[in-house]
Amino acid sequence: MNTFFLADLVPAGVNIPIILPELIVALAGVIVMVYDSFFPKQKVATGAISLLGLVGSGIVLAAMWGTGSPDSGWNGMIAHDNLRVGFSFVFLFVSAITILISTVWIDRERVPAGEYHALLLFATFGMMLMSSGNDLVIIFLGLETLSLATYVMAGLRRGDLKSNESSMKYFILGSFASAFLLYGMALIYGATGSTNITQIAAKVADPNFPGLLLIGAAMMIVGFGFKIAMAPFHVWTPDVYEGAPTPVTGFMATGAKAAAFASFIRVFVIGMPLIAGVQASVYLHQSWITVLTVLAMATIIVGNVAAIMQDNVKRMLAYSSIAHAGYALVGFVGAGLATTVIARDEAIAAVAFYLLTYTVTNLGAFAIVTFLSQKNDRRADFEDYNGIGFKSPVIAFSLSIFMLSLLGMPLTAGFMGKVLVFRPALEAGNDLLTILVVVAVIGTAISAYYYLRLIVVMFFRERTTQWTEPRMSAAMGAVLVITVVGVLYLGIFAGGLIEKFARSSSPSVIAAER
Amino acid sequence: MDFINQNLLTILILLPVVGAVLVLAHQMFWKQEGQLKWLTLGFTLLNFLVSLAMFSRSSVAGASGFYFEQNVPWISAINTNYHVGVDGLSFWLVILTTFIMPIAVLSTWHAVEKRATAFYVFLLLLESAMIGVFVSLDLLVFYLFFEASLVPMFFLIGVWGGENRIYAAVKFFIFTALGSLLMLVAIIGLYYIYADQTGLGGSFDFVAILAAMQSGTLVLAPQAGMLLFLAFALAFAIKVPVFPFHTWLPDAHTEAPTAGSVILAAVLLKMGTYGLMRFNFALFPDQSREMAPLFITLAIIGIIYGALVAMVQPDVKRLVAYSSVAHMGFVILGMFSFTEAGMQGALFTMLAHGVTTGALFLLVGFIYERRHTREITQFGGLANVMPVYATIFVITTMASVGLPFLNGFVGEFLIMLGMFQSHALDTIQLLGWNWNYVATMLAGTGVIFAAVYLLWMVQRVFFGKVTNDKNKALVDLSWREIGLMVPLLILMVYMGVFPQPFLKRSENTIKALQERVMQRAGGTIDHADVKPGLEEKIAAR
Repeated sequence: MNTFFLADLVPAGVNIPIILPELIVALAGVIVMVYDSFFPKQKVATGAISLLGLVGSGIVLAAMWGTGSPDSGWNGMIAHDNLRVGFSFVFLFVSAITILISTVWIDRERVPAGEYHALLLFATFGMMLMSSGNDLVIIFLGLETLSLATYVMAGLRRGDLKSNESSMKYFILGSFASAFLLYGMALIYGATGSTNITQIAAKVADPNFPGLLLIGAAMMIVGFGFKIAMAPFHVWTPDVYEGAPTPVTGFMATGAKAAAFASFIRVFVIGMPLIAGVQASVYLHQSWITVLTVLAMATIIVGNVAAIMQDNVKRMLAYSSIAHAGYALVGFVGAGLATTVIARDEAIAAVAFYLLTYTVTNLGAFAIVTFLSQKNDRRADFEDYNGIGFKSPVIAFSLSIFMLSLLGMPLTAGFMGKVLVFRPALEAGNDLLTILVVVAVIGTAISAYYYLRLIVVMFFRERTTQWTEPRMSAAMGAVLVITVVGVLYLGIFAGGLIEKFARSSSPSVIAAER
Repeated sequence: MDFINQNLLTILILLPVVGAVLVLAHQMFWKQEGQLKWLTLGFTLLNFLVSLAMFSRSSVAGASGFYFEQNVPWISAINTNYHVGVDGLSFWLVILTTFIMPIAVLSTWHAVEKRATAFYVFLLLLESAMIGVFVSLDLLVFYLFFEASLVPMFFLIGVWGGENRIYAAVKFFIFTALGSLLMLVAIIGLYYIYADQTGLGGSFDFVAILAAMQSGTLVLAPQAGMLLFLAFALAFAIKVPVFPFHTWLPDAHTEAPTAGSVILAAVLLKMGTYGLMRFNFALFPDQSREMAPLFITLAIIGIIYGALVAMVQPDVKRLVAYSSVAHMGFVILGMFSFTEAGMQGALFTMLAHGVTTGALFLLVGFIYERRHTREITQFGGLANVMPVYATIFVITTMASVGLPFLNGFVGEFLIMLGMFQSHALDTIQLLGWNWNYVATMLAGTGVIFAAVYLLWMVQRVFFGKVTNDKNKALVDLSWREIGLMVPLLILMVYMGVFPQPFLKRSENTIKALQERVMQRAGGTIDHADVKPGLEEKIAAR
């Protein structure tokens, strides 16, 4: 049979089917690139191929989601658990929506569509590797694939100074952060003698060099902290988000952030567990939990307070994305403190679900910002939204729903996400974490000011200048329908999905019984 | 009949939503904004009629004491259920909501010209959220409705409000949201305390948590209990509003359109007092007793401060708004007396205040539509030009002041009676005084102040000669306006003369709640260890 033949060819431990979702996306990227070089400027065709690849990958992933698939492959370098599947769905969703959002912008700015689509697919491939990689090397590979693609995408608007600034800043600071991350990985390898996360988890109880382990962990916090825009490593975010083309900003704020979270969680929550009674492990665990808790508070405060002062909607959304990284960290820290494997997986699933709700909402918001802004993103200030509420009710009410969801109002996705990430943090019964949750809700109350501000300018003020609504394209309409329905669906009928996300992963991936 | 019994409350919640969808659809296909008010009025009236079905005796109370109970799983992953039911505490509040809505719609008959579609949609969504608040028995679902009611009100104030509407709307939203977000933390915290102590897994179900507390399987540690109490109490105290959290209220009331002010005063404020009674008293009785002196003090400050500030307001609507602060102070006072009379009085005042203050806001709205000003100094001698208006206004004012045989009197009397008998302040040994008498006395002065500011305002607006030429040509109330005041006037008199039917329905619930809140952890009722009353003191001398 065919399969036997294949099995003979590949070395032992290599398991092609387990990385099939990643392969399909990468293959689609390659096809787009080749196709584009033979038939240039066919934006519909390359877009369609890309969407097909993403959907195909999603179908394969869904088929693998359940029993029957092995829980790891490639000699333990690839993990197949809920963390991987849940996050991969988020990435596929982000990419598909980004392709749809970009249609407007590609026309307006005359961007080389083929290159853009190929880059987007490679970035997605990188993100998926980051969630499935169970080895520091794979995670780094994924991260770099993602980063290099996004550096280029941020600068795609070559004629625009701001776009160039955004790209340069992101590239230089991003490389710096990658260096930190890589150095941290090297130190951890030195301390534990392995880059495999399962083996690291087994080794934290008895590391070769405990000091190196701590320094390595600290450096990785810096590296990942940069990627998820955690204070005080968030300073690049507003400039980069403002300068990058809006669809790319949406992609970075949702997809790239979620991908960094996926690896961050895997390395810390799964790779550095608490092994009760073993001093080295307890010390390491306590250190990273405390550091992340304090940084999460700082992130929430900095993000929300700075967002109040913004006059540009994109910058406001950039700071809001910093704050949201803080909320997601609440669930992350809760996962780190979980006492049972089931509770831990539930908490990880909560973070994944939170990022899904955030993604759906934020992509919707960025879609509308793209739609309303003109060439070079000129119309993206709060003033530009003055009084459009009753002139373009569909757009304005959709944007209001997204703002209320970001704020976490009930019946929207954001509320469910917040409830889910606050739960594990409160379950831990730890005083510091309870304070963190209180800081998070106070931050939420502060955020009401700037989210409502957009509603206020749209509905409560009158427009003094001319207003013509841009023409709605089919792709844009589809994005709006998907995101609005998604926000309401996740807010009201999320039950089944939460359960699917939260189903405990197979036991063999879990390193040490706690 | 079975269908109605099982789904009545859901129908009440969903009917306005259906109405809102139809309003949208109607506007989309026929583009006749003028007809929308009829549609909205129809739906609110229908909802009122349906809510009257609650009077039927066909529903049997469940083990938890709730009628028309319905319990359907919502999100089983976090064990939250759509659990609704009514009892004596929520019964009249639901009726009040459905009763006030058609009146609010009628009040906007000519006032809302622009963007009518959105206005009626928000009005209907607001009704649905308000009913949801009063009937939900799952803490998360309660929170959901509690927060959801903010959004339509935010829009109502912000789009159709007065000059300073943006400031008022944002302030209203942020104040209330901050309080309720801390309550969300407390709700989730309670979920895990329940899971921890009962070993049954977490629960948001109010009935289940209460049952566990009563049977002693769930005992809150004093410190944790206090934090939870405070988180709940803050959310409700802002909503009520209790002094010093009241500053959003004058702005919101004054800037809101008439319908918005009516609903705010009549229903939205009651969510706070309802929440305190339903959740704080039942779930944290020890902490409620411990904090009673604080709340009573704040209530008295609210009564006197509200009255004094109302006295100097140049704007009639602002004056009525501050009178709400004073009235809600009375409600808080009655609740925290922990006596049957006081708590019944509090509930009755909630209803009475809903009717009278709602009516006052309507009346202020009528004159504003005619003159586009609410400054007291702009008026004078209106009784000469608008006799019907003046008559209705004076009756309503009397009801608000607390004239016997009108509804305001019954509630305030019961509250003061309850406070007089109360043992809530027995822990305060300062000077050896009976502080409950002092509290009653101070509250009594509030009644006098209320008479001063309201009657003074009536005198300046209605009596004397017509000094301002613009007032000479004012038209008296139309039949529509009279028609929508009549049910309110009838209620003012009826509630004042026959309060019994209203009190009767809440009697058992209030009794149970009073016993619950006076119960010590050991199971004894607090009456035993009271300090000697005045008579014994005198006798001892």
